[in-house]
Parts: sequence; structure tokens; C-alpha cells
Amino acid sequence: MQPIIEMRDVSFAYGHDAQNALSHITLSIPAGSVTGIIGPSGAGKSTLAAVLSGAIPHHFTGSLYGETIVDGTDTCDMTLTDISRIVGSVNQDIDAQMVASVVEDELLFGLENFGVAHDRIEATITSALDAVGIADLRDREIATLSGGQKQKVAIAAILALAPRVLVLDEPTAALDPVSSRMVFECLRDLNERAGITVVVIEQKVALLSEFCDRMVVMNKGSIALEGTPHEVFGHAAELRAIGVDSPRVARISNSLMSKGLCTAHEPCLNVEEAAQLVASIVPAGATCETCVSPAPHTPRPHAEGAQPVVRFRGVNFAYPGGGASVNNLEMTVYPGELVGIVGQNGAGKTTATKLLNGLLKPSSGSVEVAGLDTRDVPVSQIARHTATLFQNPDHQLCKNTVLEEVAFGLELAGVPSSEAQQRASRVIDRFGLPAHEAPFALSRGQRQMIALASVVVLEPEVVILDEPTSGLDYRECMTVMETVREMAEQGSAVIMVCHDMEVVSDFAERLVVMADGCILAAGPTMEVFNDASLMRRARVKPPQVVELAAQLARDVSGAFAGVTEVSGIVDTTAQLVHARNEEGSHA
Amino acid sequence: MLNVIDYVPGTTVLHRLNPVTKLALAASIIIATILADGYAALIALLLITLLLGVYAGTATRLLSLLKVLVPIAALMLVLQLAFVRHGDPVFLFATTDGLVSGTKACLRLLGVALPLVLVLTVTKTTDLANACVEKLHIPYKYAFTFTTALRFVPVFTQEMNAIMEAQTARGVEFDSKNPFRKLSLMLPVCIPLLVTSVGKTDATALAAEQRGFYLRTRTSSYRRYPFAPRDAVCGALCVALIIAGAIL
Repeated sequence: MQPIIEMRDVSFAYGHDAQNALSHITLSIPAGSVTGIIGPSGAGKSTLAAVLSGAIPHHFTGSLYGETIVDGTDTCDMTLTDISRIVGSVNQDIDAQMVASVVEDELLFGLENFGVAHDRIEATITSALDAVGIADLRDREIATLSGGQKQKVAIAAILALAPRVLVLDEPTAALDPVSSRMVFECLRDLNERAGITVVVIEQKVALLSEFCDRMVVMNKGSIALEGTPHEVFGHAAELRAIGVDSPRVARISNSLMSKGLCTAHEPCLNVEEAAQLVASIVPAGATCETCVSPAPHTPRPHAEGAQPVVRFRGVNFAYPGGGASVNNLEMTVYPGELVGIVGQNGAGKTTATKLLNGLLKPSSGSVEVAGLDTRDVPVSQIARHTATLFQNPDHQLCKNTVLEEVAFGLELAGVPSSEAQQRASRVIDRFGLPAHEAPFALSRGQRQMIALASVVVLEPEVVILDEPTSGLDYRECMTVMETVREMAEQGSAVIMVCHDMEVVSDFAERLVVMADGCILAAGPTMEVFNDASLMRRARVKPPQVVELAAQLARDVSGAFAGVTEVSGIVDTTAQLVHARNEEGSHA
Repeated sequence: MLNVIDYVPGTTVLHRLNPVTKLALAASIIIATILADGYAALIALLLITLLLGVYAGTATRLLSLLKVLVPIAALMLVLQLAFVRHGDPVFLFATTDGLVSGTKACLRLLGVALPLVLVLTVTKTTDLANACVEKLHIPYKYAFTFTTALRFVPVFTQEMNAIMEAQTARGVEFDSKNPFRKLSLMLPVCIPLLVTSVGKTDATALAAEQRGFYLRTRTSSYRRYPFAPRDAVCGALCVALIIAGAIL
């Protein structure tokens, strides 16, 4: 295929930085392909997107070497406006990308500017809106749309200009799994029907592996791996070293291969492939009496007879202007527990966390935190017992140095300044953060770590996490979650709202499932995930391993029932194969 | 979230007027208010604005704005009373002249502030910007700056609320009853807001440029804003208003 964009030995450094954000990148984007770009934060993914869309060299300044050819012309020889006739780009921050307040005007803006003939405008707008499936939103105010809808408006506004390439920088970072999937389906549709070349930066590996035909893995400003998703995820060890997650099913097939249990040479990328692979090694109906069913991770025994630290009793709440109300919430959390709240956007999860830290007061029923009724005490009082880690760390940071920032919460709680500073520096050392730098000068991942450090230092009785891992790369995500687990082990009650079901299944012991403002069910994580009808009602997609285990238990062998971890699937398969071999040798 | 200056959809004559005519109407009410000297005229002008608001269905917005403006007007009255000391004493330091000039200043303040808000509530900002570019030959750059500034108001309000919530959850006493304490707590919070807003503005500039901002000319707009007979009628009314204001 003819490349539509070609980068030849491109290096770039921002401003006067000595360090290259990109170094010696050679990459060609074939026309008509869907290319996914992945890598840990700070790897240069956004910079790469800026080079592809012409924002470098035309908007961001710095030193650029090498050449980037878009449709036969060097980007340095074209204006940004001319480049954008070929390459349309959708940025990370959706709100900042909008130029109008009504959807229709948003689409008109580009069409008017590029002088599209007025008699063609109506048809263009209609087809752009239809292409992403939002014809009904045409006259809506953008401010009233949900995140997923806004993202589609942004894509439609670019589509109207009929670009030949779409470059998207983390289009689903702020979206729930259902909306993320819709955006990717929309991209695939555009690629297949309109032949638009798509380049997308993304952290969600499962989506990338499913929708892309090419993947590029970046690390420290260079390209580490390149190829089809099957090729790329075959390099499990390299990916782990770089800090990029692999789909769980790819991990399963990679382990089976390394144990010599199968001869396939490509990793599986979805549940169906993995189920077929396992079925091909294990004969249908194989049973194994001696198989030890893999122990699900043993729930940490929380102190027997301990008093619950959080208690919701018949809690109702409705916002004055309407929207996400919650009804009759009943929930009890004990010290040392790690509880996940799952459900779709708008299910009332965030409202529940705000009721918990006192930002909202129940209209009826009661919320008790560490023995305090949230209606009787001010939020600042509750804050001495609870700590919240928000989705966006930037809302939380307000001091000039990391040390002051981390110590701030302690000082607010009335700890003397010198002691607060000491405790803060201990935590900062543990996290390896630069104590005297300004928080806003650090990277997004590090800012999240500072926010986390200021939660850890408080040693709170209750920890509330609202989407703690969004916008983080795999390694940062694991650091955050391991720290949270340690806090739970030390006796804090942790309540976490999270969209990433893999993270939830790895870390939470108990789940509360919410939908439409009500708690549908609560129980041990694996019981909840294995309840297929419950998952459907809550519109939650269970983690890959749970789905795979359920499918294998049904089609291959009952021994897979209730398996929840990658190692569990691998071990069970190994045992089944082993048992059959022994049978064979006895006969 | 509802904003005082957000567009209220409708099909009244006021909605259908050319945006430039609406601006002219607001301007003439304001000019008349400044020129007028009698109580009757000032109150009448204020009533005109409010009645137009009732007609266009945006009266609630105007009233909620009044709630903010009345205390400011009251403060102005007190200041006027303190400064204007000639005339017959009424009580304490208040004099008749002071009362007259004070109350008129109050009425003028309200009369000047309300018409512009009325126009903004019955006009989409993009229409206003495009019409001004087409009819008044204002460079698009300025019109874009204006609409973007208005559009960012709710975005930043949301951002500010999120920041305040995060800080409250950390234990900063934003729920304190003392307004001065609250204000002193809010200042440090402006830093994160400033950082995010600079980033957002830059991203918006880039997004606009990538959609051909620099190619735009006066005639780019898809929608046209021709003057209709009703605009001429309204124009005549505007002139009448100004003359009436000057005489009364």
C-alpha cells in the first residue's frame, strides 16, 4: 500500500530542552490502514501525533530534524491549514477542541473557513453527522452532551472536512467502556466505508488489538515494536519491560506456548481465539478428579468483630436540577476491605462517593463514616478520617512544591507543621518524587503520584478512589493499585470506582454493582463477575478471563468454572492435558 | 448548569430580529437611559427592558440578574448619599439632593446592565458574531475571541467547582460561614485554574487553526443575516427611544 504519511529519521526536542521527545523515528502510515500507537507515558506518543498532524513544526516550537512527508509534500513546506486539509486531528481535551456552542455550528466552522460551496454544506453536515450516528444531536448545546457524544461531535466536525487521514490522541481517555467501544466502532466504520486512514493513540490494549490492523509501540521517543497486533503481542517480555499491558488472553496464550502446551506461534487477542486454542489442546469433556481447583485469591480476613467504618442506611439523594439521583443505597464497609463500585456512566457511582466524603448530604437515610453522621459534621471534619483520590490530580494540587503539597493535608488536619513535613518527606522518599519541584512542572503520571502520596501520608481510615487509573500507563497504574492494596492491608477501608474491570478483578475483594441510581447487587468479586445476567443488567462487561473461563467451562471442561486469573486458566489447562496423557499411558 | 447569559430558544419577534438590530436596540435603550433625567423616563425604560424580557420568555434570567444587581445598586445609593450633601437634610447624613441623585444612579445602573443581557439571552453567540462580522465589518478575530470567552465561562465554572470540591474533600474549609475566610482560601486555588485555562486556550487556538481559522473572511459564514422590514421598524423605534430619552 502507498504510504500517505511518511516520517524519515525524525527527531524533535521541545523549546530549549536538551532531551529529544522523539529520536530518529522512521515510520510510514499506509493509506487505508488503522494504526494504533501505544506506549508508556512520556514515550512521545502525543509528540508523534503532533508531527503527523503538522502541529509540529507549525504550532509547537523546538528543534526538528528529518522530514515528514504528507501526501508527497514535506510538512515544513506546507502551511498548517493546508496540512489539515489532508490530516484531521482530534485532540485529547474535548472541551478545548470545540469552537462553537451548538453542534451544527461546530461542524459549520470548518466548512465555512475552507470555503465549501454553500449549496453542498447541508448535505456535508448531514452525512458527517450520520457517519458517526449523531444526527439527532444536531441542534443540541455542546455543553449538555455526555463525554462520548462530545467526542463524536469532535470527530464529525473533522469528518465534514473530508480529510484522508484522522489522527486521534487518546480519544477514549475520559470515556467509560461502552462509549469507548462506540468511538472505536465508529472509527472502524469510517475506515471501511470511507477509506479514511486512522492513526489512534490509545492506552486500552484490548480495544487496540481488536480494531487496529497495525500497531506501533513507542518507548522513550523511539519506536520499539511495529507490526500487526498478533505480532506485537507475541513479544510479551519486551512489552512488559517497556511497561505496556497485554490483553489477558494474549498472556494466557503466551504462557501456554512457553510451557510447550501448544504449537501456535501467534498470541490470541480475544476470548473466542483463546477459547478455540484451549479447546484444541484439551479434548472436549475432559475431566480431572485430581485437579486442584485453583484457589481464588483468598480474601484478606478483616478484623473479626470489627465495627464497620462506613455505613449507608437507606440513602436517597437527588440533584436539584435533576440528573443522576441515587435511591435506597445500603452498604457497609469494614476496615481493611477493598471494595469496588462498578456500573455504567450515570449509574450514580460518583454521587455515592460524594455522599461518602460529605460533599453531598443524603436527603433521607444516613451515611456514617468513622462513627460520624455526615449530616452533622462539616466536610472538613470528615476529611480528617477520609481521603479521596480524584480522577484528575490537577484539581487537587495547589502548592508550590511537592513537599508542601504532600504535607498540606496533614496541616489541615491539625498536625504541627514540622511533624507534617517529616511525615511528608518520608512518603515522598518512598515514592521517589522530587520534593522541591513545582507539582505542575511534572508529568501527568507524576502528578497523580503526588496526589496519591498526599492521600497515603494521611493514613486515613477510609480511602475513596474515583477512577484512580484513568490517564495512567500500565506501570503507573500498577504502582497506584499496589500502594492502595498496602493501605488496605494496614487497615484502611478502600472504596474504589473504576471502569477498568481487569484492575477491579485484580484488586477488589468485594463489588457493589450499580445501575440507574440503585445498588443491584453486592458480593465477592468473582461471584458478581460470574453472574452473567447481573452483568448484563448493569451493562458491565466482565473481565476477559472470567468470560473465557465461563465459555471453557461450558464447552470444554467443568474444571474451568470459576477460574479468575491468567495463571488459573494456564494451570488448569496444563493439568487437564497432563491427566489425559496419563490416562493414555495407562491404557 | 444554567448561566444568566445562556441562549433561551424561542420564536418571538425579538428572537427573529437581526442580531445587529438587537444590539442597536440594546444600545439605544442604554443611551436613552444615560440621557434621560426624569424618574418617569428611567422607570419606563427599565420597564421596557423587563417587558421585552417577559415577551421573549427570559424574564426569569433578568430577575436572577436583578438579585445580584440590586445590592450593588443599594451600595451605590449609600455612597451617593454620603457624597452628595447639599439640599435639605432628611435623616442622618442623607439629603434630598442626595436621595434624588442616588436613586437615579441606581435606576441608571440597572437600566444599563439589563438590555445587553436581554440581547444575549435571545441571540446565539455564533449568530451575533457572524452578523457583526457581516454587517458591522468587525474582524472575525475579535468576534471569535468574544464568542470563545463566553463559551469558556461554563467550562471554567465547572473546572472551578471540581477544584473546590477536591479541596473541600481534602479538608480545606470552603464550607466555612465566614465569607472573608472563604475568599482567602479560594486565592491559592486560582493557580490550578490558571494553569488549566492557559493549556485549554492554547489547545483551542490549535484546533481552530487546524480547521482553517486563517482562511475565514467576511463572506465565509454559511448563514446570511439580511435586514428585514421588522428590522427597519425596530431601527425607527431605536431612534425614537434615543430622542425620547434626550427630551424627558
